[in-house]
Amino acid sequence: MLDATEQFINGLMFGCLYALIGGGFTILFGVMRRFNMAYGSTIMAGAYVALVPVYLFRAPAWLMVLTGIAAAVLVGLLVEFCCFRFIKKGHELAPLMTTIGMLIVINEAIVHATDAVGLKYPSPFGDVALELGQFLVRRDYLAVLVAGVVCFTLIFLLLYRTRFGRAMRAVAERPEAAQILGVSVRRVNVLTFVLTSALAGVIGFFAAVSVGSARPDMAFFVTGKGLVVMVLGGLGSLPGAIVGGLVLGVLEFEATWFLGATYRDILAFVILFLVLVFRPQGLVGTRTT
Amino acid sequence: MDYYVAIASIIGIHALLGLSVYVVAISGQMSFGQQGFFAIGAYLAGMSTAMWGLGLVPALVLGALVAGAMGFVVGFPALRVRGLYLAIATFGFGEIVRLAFLNVRYTENIGGRVVGPNGAEGFRHVRYVYDRGFTGLHYLAVILVVLVVVVILFFLLERSKVGAKLRAVEEDETAAAMIGINVTRVKVVAFAAAAAVAGLGGGLFIHYSTYIDHDMVALPLAIASVTYPLLGGLGSFVGTLLGAIVLVGLTEGLRGLQGMREFVYGGLIILMMIFRPRGIVDEALVLRVKSWLSPRAPREPVQAP
Repeated sequence: MLDATEQFINGLMFGCLYALIGGGFTILFGVMRRFNMAYGSTIMAGAYVALVPVYLFRAPAWLMVLTGIAAAVLVGLLVEFCCFRFIKKGHELAPLMTTIGMLIVINEAIVHATDAVGLKYPSPFGDVALELGQFLVRRDYLAVLVAGVVCFTLIFLLLYRTRFGRAMRAVAERPEAAQILGVSVRRVNVLTFVLTSALAGVIGFFAAVSVGSARPDMAFFVTGKGLVVMVLGGLGSLPGAIVGGLVLGVLEFEATWFLGATYRDILAFVILFLVLVFRPQGLVGTRTT
Repeated sequence: MDYYVAIASIIGIHALLGLSVYVVAISGQMSFGQQGFFAIGAYLAGMSTAMWGLGLVPALVLGALVAGAMGFVVGFPALRVRGLYLAIATFGFGEIVRLAFLNVRYTENIGGRVVGPNGAEGFRHVRYVYDRGFTGLHYLAVILVVLVVVVILFFLLERSKVGAKLRAVEEDETAAAMIGINVTRVKVVAFAAAAAVAGLGGGLFIHYSTYIDHDMVALPLAIASVTYPLLGGLGSFVGTLLGAIVLVGLTEGLRGLQGMREFVYGGLIILMMIFRPRGIVDEALVLRVKSWLSPRAPREPVQAP
């Protein structure tokens, strides 16, 4: 029982990473009303580029995070420019396809730059587990928890305490009305990409740290988790994404403990399928679609 | 020569997968899970010939039937949701199938070789076709015959009442329901038929390559299969065929470009969606071609009042 509780705590902490991934997808989806398949690649690009200062000199962790954020923002702006800006109105599926095209291009660029081998990631938080009472807690998971709390606090402050946040929520709710009231929808869209891409930089760093390496299949892994979290929480709901991320984290750790690692991923997708079909508004949502 | 036979075989198989997505697409939905049915068809047809001693034709039929039945079982609950939700739900289904085959072990020792689904090792030695002296060219003929049969069925479907119903459901579900179309039944039947076509493609594939594993039916295959109809155009099944020929032909033909293939592939998708969001063969083009063929057909798309 003690071990199951320990897995629960680990799952909750690692779930913060899933919550962040789901949060990034959710903000983009909420404002753009489109799904960005290239978001996973943006995260991966951030994780890889964050390694560059490590290769040049003994860079501290904060410099890696900043480099990752800068790279991810550049990639995010590129995605917005190539995949969203020139799409004609009324073609719902077109951005889905263009972002898939972008995903292919970014992944290939990374494979080219690294010869498709995973790169070892430094562990700035140390490898020794921390003892909290009877429980052993991994330091990098603890860092993920802190990063999650900080990022979500900043995001909520931005959304509910600033003019830009209000403009974002207005565009998410009703773009035409917001436009009439003098909000520049295009500006909000671009700034949303900057915000979520900066988040992608943070996610990329912590995802790679907790796995121990940056690998070219990271984009697919992250996209899969992001989809599940988004759906668990209800499409477009930020609190839902947090709940969904934590639920998925706990479920995966308990499933690994009780059933073994091979059944962990199946479980995630079975839950995804069932929730989508029988509770499409998500676990916490009440809105009917 | 072998090289071109191989490319043509892959085009034929991928065209079937694209047609499978196309059927779902003309009922107004997008599926990212057809590779799951492809995998089911492949594994079943492979087991049929390599382990159960069936012939090629019964094996392909069995694969298609089971995939179709699976499509019915999955489609019934899944088609309650639509749009992005369905796209994600079907992708979830595809992943469930893939991860299931990652875990399934059901092997026999035949002639010193381990035959059958063998977890992460994949399913090796489905040599029915080549053991019977078929060459690549012979097997290409088999693929093309199957493709032609499916295409004829599609041609009949597009001119039939069922085809009209599908288009009606895509255009406006409420209106379709009001003129007495059973929307759910039309969608589920279309989904099951689509699954069967994908299963057929899978059965053909495993006998072509003699081998399949879970990695081959992951997200990249889903993306490829969706790209053919979307790039080729949703106005007619001809678009899907064209999409498969252009994309497979291009990417295989570009091998000389070394690692640049994926860049061209991705860039092409982006440019295509910006300039022709309904694909090469879109509805407007279909109407124009029809008006050339028969002078009585309307020359311009009729605008709703």
